[in-house]
Amino acid sequence: MAAGARGGRVGMALLGGLIALLFFLPLWWALAGALRSEQETFRTLSPVSLWTLIPGQPTLGNFASLVHGGFGRAMLNSAVVTAATLVVGLAICSTAAFGLAVLRFPGRTTVFAVMVVSFLIPFDAIAIPLSALFRDFELQNTHLGLVLPGVGNGFAVFLLRGFFLGVPKELAEAAHVDGLGWWGIFWRIYLPLSKPAMVGAGLILFVFQWQAYLWPLLIAPSPAMKVAPVAIAQLSGERGADFGAIFAGAVLTALVPLLVLLFFQRYFTQSLSGSGTKG
Amino acid sequence: MTTATPRTAVGRRGRFGDWPIAVTFLGPAVLAAVLLRLWPAARAVWDSLRSTPFGLAPTTWVGLDQYRWLFTDPAFLNSLKVTALFGIVVNPLQIAVALALAVLFNERIRGVGLMRTLVFLPVAIPQSVSAVIWAVAFRPDGPLNGVLALFGLGGLRYLTSPGQALASIVVVVSWIGVGYWMMFLIAGLKEIDPNLYDAAALDGAGRWARFRYVTVPQLRRQLAFVLVADTVSNLLLFAPVQILTKGGPDGSTDVLMNDIFERAYTEADVGAAAAATVVLTAVALAIVVVQFRLLSSGKD
Repeated sequence: MAAGARGGRVGMALLGGLIALLFFLPLWWALAGALRSEQETFRTLSPVSLWTLIPGQPTLGNFASLVHGGFGRAMLNSAVVTAATLVVGLAICSTAAFGLAVLRFPGRTTVFAVMVVSFLIPFDAIAIPLSALFRDFELQNTHLGLVLPGVGNGFAVFLLRGFFLGVPKELAEAAHVDGLGWWGIFWRIYLPLSKPAMVGAGLILFVFQWQAYLWPLLIAPSPAMKVAPVAIAQLSGERGADFGAIFAGAVLTALVPLLVLLFFQRYFTQSLSGSGTKG
Repeated sequence: MTTATPRTAVGRRGRFGDWPIAVTFLGPAVLAAVLLRLWPAARAVWDSLRSTPFGLAPTTWVGLDQYRWLFTDPAFLNSLKVTALFGIVVNPLQIAVALALAVLFNERIRGVGLMRTLVFLPVAIPQSVSAVIWAVAFRPDGPLNGVLALFGLGGLRYLTSPGQALASIVVVVSWIGVGYWMMFLIAGLKEIDPNLYDAAALDGAGRWARFRYVTVPQLRRQLAFVLVADTVSNLLLFAPVQILTKGGPDGSTDVLMNDIFERAYTEADVGAAAAATVVLTAVALAIVVVQFRLLSSGKD
């Protein structure tokens, strides 16, 4: 019995390892492709062998040519836009969550309803009419135009609201007695207690903005304003594009969220399970 | 409620509420919600009731004619068909695979954390990056055909064949998304009371019976959530299609978002694009509302 269970466990470990490797293979192959010449990448495909996955003559040349070719600018745009989204978005979403969770005021249910209904509309669905509005306001090819849609995020607001609701009301009341205003209560009591939720909300905002493709494609077509996901897609669409450079760009664009994920994985899974079970 | 300033309201318990402070906390988010979601949705409805011939002539009121034209346009009907076919295939497939992986990676096996992370990695990287990598993988001289050749099999055409392109997109999108849904289901599995499994085992339930009569019913809420969220996200699929096929070949991968994008940008047919947007948003909202009903009924 025990031996059978152990045998089953080994079988499951092998199966799990195999599946995990299969999922990882395309990324590994892209990384290998980034570290060798285009010729080597394709030469090692016929026939497929271990050398398909291992750069025989590793080089960083692809990264050098990529950065010379304007991709550095796209990475910089992505970084600036994402950082601005994080700062402004966290400010807007956390204050809104505090307002919905803690403040009592007339019309509160109406405000709550407006927020829920508007965030039920998926952003991508209305991105095209929104881009027409943004063009009317001369926001095309501006950082502001890229940042704005990312700052009000329903998932972030409701994640933070759920967390704020769990903070004991007595803390706020005691602070009131001590003469602390609402901003003081928000800043000195709720925010310091809510670091995991703030990280979770930050991750939501970060992923939304770093991954954005449709919106930047619509609103920032100028070469100077391109973000990395759009730049890499258009690089691959060009005839005679260098596959080494494409892989290098793919690796650079993917590296940033992978590092963030690695660092914050615990928070990420936490916020994921929270949003999944609390609906 | 009260005309007192925030300062004095703060001093008295039970009379916390007042407007100015609520406006400062909630104003920016409400403004964002209205300007960035409701307004463009209203604009789409407005535009859909008007016609913009060639984008240059003045617009004219056409009422519901735009929708009548749309639903007789073979290209739009094709994109509805492709979107439905894609959804019918990809949603059950992704959920079945995600559930199987969740059960497997919830076992106590060595290195399971690393395995989960590897399956999850594609979720974290931008969709356009994934699409670009798969674009190379699908090439006639790419690694997929290279592997087939190892087994003495002829190569496939993948994205350039009307018969294989949609299936290829399904592979890419599932590779991207399955790890995400798996994580939700693993979180759900962890909440199941282990005593339920022990009780079922005592009653002589085998592995499959325990899965069927304990795991699936206990995971109902997570499964309902994943089903709806996955359906909405696949309904809105855009980046991989736009990058890999642009809807082709022969419209075989022309999902709704791609169709709307083409109408708005290549054809500059604002009215038709707006009408199609309204149809898409209505369907997405309907699915989301169903999600909320499922979740609230699941709590009882």
